[in-house]
Amino acid sequence: MLTTTPNSKISSVQKPARLFRWLLLPIAVGLFSGCVQPMPKVQSFFEVTPQTAQHRALQTRMFDTSDEKELLSASAAVLQDLGFQVEESVKEVGMLRAAKERGAREYGQEIMQSFVFLLGLLGQTSILVPVDVHQQINATLVTRRSETDASRFSVRVLFHRSIWKGDGQSDRQYIPPGIQSLEMITDGKIYQQFFAKLSKSLFLEAHKI
Amino acid sequence: MNARTRLFAFSLVFLLQACAGGPQKAPKELLALNEAQMKIRSFQTRAFDVKDQNKVLRGVVASLQDLGFIVERANGPLGLVTAGKFGPNGHGFVELTVVVRAKGEEQTEVRVNALFNTKPIEDPKVYQNFFIAVERSLFNSRG
Repeated sequence: MLTTTPNSKISSVQKPARLFRWLLLPIAVGLFSGCVQPMPKVQSFFEVTPQTAQHRALQTRMFDTSDEKELLSASAAVLQDLGFQVEESVKEVGMLRAAKERGAREYGQEIMQSFVFLLGLLGQTSILVPVDVHQQINATLVTRRSETDASRFSVRVLFHRSIWKGDGQSDRQYIPPGIQSLEMITDGKIYQQFFAKLSKSLFLEAHKI
Repeated sequence: MNARTRLFAFSLVFLLQACAGGPQKAPKELLALNEAQMKIRSFQTRAFDVKDQNKVLRGVVASLQDLGFIVERANGPLGLVTAGKFGPNGHGFVELTVVVRAKGEEQTEVRVNALFNTKPIEDPKVYQNFFIAVERSLFNSRG
């Protein structure tokens, strides 16, 4: 039944490699589908979401003081203590913006990069997933007099994290470095720590809203 | 010069023509106001029955924080705020400039210009949503 010709022998040797190449395609597609995301709609940038109130509560504290200047300078001092560089301060609006730079290399990401690269080599293609190399933490702090009680001020601080990725490669296509992403930090502990430090430096209790 | 070289020179001239465009003139209507722009301006402007400009400015800043924007710059006396925000996973970037000015004796006017990936946003719904957020932070502020 089975007649083997020299030709089919060669192809049977090549078969596993070719099969692997075909298998690799869906894997690569699966991996990279995480990277390729459709452009978000413009409207989504201006919508108040159910999380908005939650975030506000997390990021805001009330202080029993009517001295806004003191509140701002104490906030600036706390940000300095945390290693931030104050970049913008506007007394009339009660606003501070500060930033700090940090490396963003993560162990897991580089292991993943090497794993995918090896997988790519087996399939005779070169895949280099970009990894995070640099990050900047931005803090925007705003003080505001309470609507109901003029002797109280609220402080709201937002921490954002921007991440810059290094370069990468997908087969023959080069992925340039510097792709940036930005996310709001929503970890309650970070905000709790900040307000604990602020109330300590003000000798005032921080009340939740 | 053989036929091949001649052909090469000829095609090269064609290719390089694109580079030598000469100085481009700015279009005449560059700074002219057309009807569409007037319409967009009306979407971008909203008057509030609040006398205190600083209060409105602070309301705008608070609403920007609500929407998760990074307030980049603010100027109290001029009533100016610039802010920016990235979309999920760094896709899309919105930046905006807000100007708060007095309108008559009793009102304050807020004008916002928003860009999406450096192109002006012309969708009125976007501006409506923004003003809803401002209104909320101006009149429903808690605490």
